[in-house]
Amino acid sequence: MFQRSKTITIKNMVTFRYITIVLMITVLPLILSVTASANKTLTDQLGRHVTVSDEPQRVVSLAPSITEIVFALDQGHRLKGVTTYSDFPPQAVKLPKVGSYVQLDLEKIVALKPDLCIAIKDGNPIAVARRLESLKIPVYAVNPGNLESVMQTVQEVGELLNVQEKADKLVQSMNLRIQKVKSLVAKTTYRPRVFFQIGVSPIVSVGTHTFSNELIVLAGGKNVAQGPIAYPRYSIEQVLALSPEVIIITSMARVAIFKQVKAEWNRWPNMPAVRNHQIFIEDSNLFDRPTPRLVDGLELMVKLIHPELFEGTK
Amino acid sequence: MITAKPVLLKRLFLISFFLLIVLMVVMFLGLSSGPTQISIRSVFQTIVGIRTSDSMMHSIIWQIRLPRVILSALVGAALSLGGLVFQALLRNPLAEPYILGISGGSAIGAIVGILMGFSRFPGVSLTAFSGSIATLLLILAMSSGQTILKKDALLLSGVMVNAFCAAVIMFLISMTQDSRLHNIIFWLMGDLSFGDMQQVGILAAILLPCFFLVFWLSNPMNLLLMGKEMAQTMGVHIKLVTVTLLVATSFMVSATVSYCGLVGFVGLVMPHLLRLVFGPDHRVLVPACILGGGTYMVFCDFLARILPKQGEIPAGVITAMIGAPLFIYLLKRSSK
Repeated sequence: MFQRSKTITIKNMVTFRYITIVLMITVLPLILSVTASANKTLTDQLGRHVTVSDEPQRVVSLAPSITEIVFALDQGHRLKGVTTYSDFPPQAVKLPKVGSYVQLDLEKIVALKPDLCIAIKDGNPIAVARRLESLKIPVYAVNPGNLESVMQTVQEVGELLNVQEKADKLVQSMNLRIQKVKSLVAKTTYRPRVFFQIGVSPIVSVGTHTFSNELIVLAGGKNVAQGPIAYPRYSIEQVLALSPEVIIITSMARVAIFKQVKAEWNRWPNMPAVRNHQIFIEDSNLFDRPTPRLVDGLELMVKLIHPELFEGTK
Repeated sequence: MITAKPVLLKRLFLISFFLLIVLMVVMFLGLSSGPTQISIRSVFQTIVGIRTSDSMMHSIIWQIRLPRVILSALVGAALSLGGLVFQALLRNPLAEPYILGISGGSAIGAIVGILMGFSRFPGVSLTAFSGSIATLLLILAMSSGQTILKKDALLLSGVMVNAFCAAVIMFLISMTQDSRLHNIIFWLMGDLSFGDMQQVGILAAILLPCFFLVFWLSNPMNLLLMGKEMAQTMGVHIKLVTVTLLVATSFMVSATVSYCGLVGFVGLVMPHLLRLVFGPDHRVLVPACILGGGTYMVFCDFLARILPKQGEIPAGVITAMIGAPLFIYLLKRSSK
């Protein structure tokens, strides 16, 4: 009787040991995995605290520029929804649309069950962001205003998606290319007057606080429309008075209209830009979307403003 | 002030009950349509509460579609009632907040409020209210004197006030250059998509007392329609009633405008239809207009969401497309 009970206790102890081992094996990784997939809390560019999962897998981008940044970090597979005008890279076109960035369709966003929405302050209605958050969908807002903050944004998106290394590399190469342009432009002190036209009727240009202005200045030009108004309007007369040496017309899609605009400027042969055939039509997305492609826009801009700097290399 | 005759009460009850059922059916229709395909059965199950497993569907129906449907019902009710009151007070079948320019005036006020960076409530609502009161005074001043009740004078002054308001709105829009521009333009066309429960609650808190006030004054409205002397001998304080009704209506209209922009002609369609069916007694018409107007607006919003393949049409476009031809028809008929 006594012996029997002893064997039982020994048996019990053995099973207990087993159980602890089994528990150790199963529960510990569970705990670890729970802590690993735990959320992280970040501060977005509007100073709001946003708690997102460590590896967001269902991301909805609320602006074309954000779509581009996510693709630039090779994380396009995580995008489950984008906005109407997300046209770059071409893969983005096929993704489900959640409305345009100024008129978002809340229900479509929610139906995609996102674990992260990335919003842009300039354009996205604040009401939609607030309602998404009230539906427990984290919204990380970015607010890039210049090249520097675009690179900052790339890094933050990298952190959000847990691909910091890729983001760092991308920013490094952007920085390198910008430095190259800077040292190239430093070779000359000549600063041609540039008129950057983004609107046809009325004629609209870009003020000081725009990406395009920053690119013009970095590319060694002088933006004749500099001023506190972001998108000032001009009459033909005013433009003639500014006598721009380079006119860059950015087109959205309908190139035909812009060819007409170019023809229109050609009616004024006294304008230096017309005399020297310095009127160009370019893709607007390279100059006003806060994405890594702004650097492409910068490199293009230098070639347009300072073609003489490239004569030797040809 | 409501003389409670049993026949009237019974009729009131029956009509309200019938219209309430119709409203419920249309609201259900509104709840079951949207960009995401959810079958009517699962919508019903979610509403009744049988099905609670899918949290996505749950939040789409309860937190996205429901506020919108309630918002539409409130807006439709307020605007229909506004039309009814104006038609009674001005004794003009074509009077309506939008046509008279009251909506336009509150839109100016609201845009000024938005541009000054006020929040929707109370800031924008108050500027919208002052805008609507200003236009109301302007219209009354313009059409006062001998010709106060002449249809053409009133309509013409309304058209002119509207043209002026449109010009001011255009001016304000052309001066706006930042991202608020898009918001203002969508909002102006009558946008019902941004309501959440909190906003809907505030709007309901503004509108419901006005509904009761107008209902309370429905019998004096009947008497006013019989003529001023008649009303006076029946003990109606004409000035007080008129002013109260006008202010309450302008208040309702400006509240709806500050929430969802210019939704036109709603105050024309429903009062006329209901008057045709239920007769001219305002004690019945007021609750009928509240329920019927709500139904109409929810239905228009439903159309606005299902008609286009991509995105949605602003609800104001739909109401104007239905209302403007009706207006022309009424004008033609009344001039015969």
